[in-house]
Amino acid sequence: MNHPEQIRQMPEYVALTQARKKIVWPLSIAIIAVYFALILIIAFWPASLGAPIGEGVTSIGIALGLGVIIFCMVITGIYVTYANRVIEPLTRAIAQKAGALK
Amino acid sequence: MNVKALTALSFFTAISLIGLSTTALADTAAKAPVNLTAIVMFLAFVCVTLGITYWAARRTKTTADFYAAGGGIGGFQNGLAIAGDYMSAASFLGIAGLVYMSGFDGLIYAIGFLVGWPIVLLLIAEPLRNLGKYTFADVASFRLQQKPIRILAASGSLVTVIFYLIAQLVGAGKLIEVLFGLPYETAVIIVGVLMTLYVTFGGMLATTWVQLIKAILLLSGASLMALLVMAHFGFSFENMFAEAVKVHSKGIAIMAPGTLVSDPISAISLGMALMFGTAGLPHILMRFFTVKDAVQARRSVFYATGFIGYFYILTFIIGFGAIVLLLNHPDYFADGKLVGGTNMAAIHLSQALGGDLLLGFISAVAFATILAVVSGLTLAGSSAISHDLYATLVLKGERNEKKEMRASRIATICLGVIAVLLGIVFENQNVAFMVGLAFCVAASANFPILLLSMYWRKLTTRGAVIGGSIGLLTALVLVIIGPTVWVDALHFEQAIFPYKYPAIFSVSAAFFGIWLFSILDKSKTAKAEEAAFDAQFVRSQTGIGISEAAEH
Repeated sequence: MNHPEQIRQMPEYVALTQARKKIVWPLSIAIIAVYFALILIIAFWPASLGAPIGEGVTSIGIALGLGVIIFCMVITGIYVTYANRVIEPLTRAIAQKAGALK
Repeated sequence: MNVKALTALSFFTAISLIGLSTTALADTAAKAPVNLTAIVMFLAFVCVTLGITYWAARRTKTTADFYAAGGGIGGFQNGLAIAGDYMSAASFLGIAGLVYMSGFDGLIYAIGFLVGWPIVLLLIAEPLRNLGKYTFADVASFRLQQKPIRILAASGSLVTVIFYLIAQLVGAGKLIEVLFGLPYETAVIIVGVLMTLYVTFGGMLATTWVQLIKAILLLSGASLMALLVMAHFGFSFENMFAEAVKVHSKGIAIMAPGTLVSDPISAISLGMALMFGTAGLPHILMRFFTVKDAVQARRSVFYATGFIGYFYILTFIIGFGAIVLLLNHPDYFADGKLVGGTNMAAIHLSQALGGDLLLGFISAVAFATILAVVSGLTLAGSSAISHDLYATLVLKGERNEKKEMRASRIATICLGVIAVLLGIVFENQNVAFMVGLAFCVAASANFPILLLSMYWRKLTTRGAVIGGSIGLLTALVLVIIGPTVWVDALHFEQAIFPYKYPAIFSVSAAFFGIWLFSILDKSKTAKAEEAAFDAQFVRSQTGIGISEAAEH
């Protein structure tokens, strides 16, 4: 019964929850903000997305749209790299200590 | 005994398939011209997948095997399988068709279907794996009361699965009718029988491998098509867009948002349904229980997002390729319309690019895609019935592997029969709204309950049940009285509710309801549920305790 309570007291656990907070919320807000910004531009200023980028016909909208697709992949890449580097060692340390508790 | 039954059934199916294809070959003249490559490739796919099902059937003995392939799928494989579950024929043919029809608007859908994935990765995947066993109801009911939460979660899952299934099956029937010249009912029955076979006998293991093969086929087919299209334009997007603008009847307008999303409320609503609905689709959530731990769950989403994003870029290129390469060729048109409707754009394009051989390959891939997706859906539906409803309500928590296994197989067969019947009933209905409805229900019922159960300390059973039901009902009712059902399907003159996409209202209603009835809940159980949060959160963050839980 006290097992989870003991884990909660570990410095590694505190570090883990903080490390997670530090990455999860900024990235979540980033993707939600980027996506809904695009949606709002589509809803309120659709014509602005039709403007060509340079000389040709390729529009800002197409570039932004493809950009959001790439952005999704980048966000997942950033998170996974960070998780493997920072979160994983902490989780392993906690699991080891918790194993010793039994 | 099961294996024997499977052998007999597979043999029977194979014979009837060959029989059907010969009859199809015989009355070629009546329907679409039959493509021999397509039939041979499709039969090869069916044989291989039935072989896999036979292999998997011998390894599917326990409920852990049936629901989660014994937890032994790797992160990369699972990522590919998730991508396979998500890349349905509807998204391949539908998005390519939308791009073909109106350019940029197709991209809006593609983006919407993708942006849910970072959310799944950041907020859902790891705690879901750490807390659950086979279904997302395991997670939602972790510290809440089993019975009401499981009933609610199972209802949300079943509604989502059934609407999604009907949409896929009707699409499948129409597609196969055009591609292989088979009658609509026959096509729906073949798909129904095959999916039931895969799931009943091979469970999650067979479903995963069917999904993997299909994902590889679909990604290679689409890559090849996109490559050929890009080669046609000297690998320049600008050339491609310039040519498309020249030949498309809407001209330069295809480079900007068009009529798909007309008002801000609909735009935000559609965005919410797609983004949060992804994180509430039961057949997707279920995939996270097939991997060993949170690390593999994380890897799965990373690969899945990569594959899905790449796939949508391909469909976008394919849609534009179709504009240029099809619009100049009268062969693909009848009475000024694309033969078989705009959803056939990608299929016709394959013929324009690579003749009958590529056409045959892409047709077979499209059929395989449908089969794989409906199998995943059926498995998710049957686990909601057997693991959430049957095990809690009938077995009342008593663990009985044998009975639960039998229940899940019976549930699979029932779902298969119901899906085929509904598929036939809805043949001439506009079912496009059903995928939207599935996403809307997933976003309004499944997602809020799942998210808050993992992150919000004060969530109580009462709050989850009342708020979740409000979300589920609001989504259903608003879609029914909205333009897509009330006007398009039921042919009333004016919709009672003016917006096509109600997610902004139903998702907010769900969150508000859950919040209000949770904080108003001063009962003893509510206190206990709140007190249990810390222990649950520790497990959700660290995964400590999951191996012990998997055993009993």
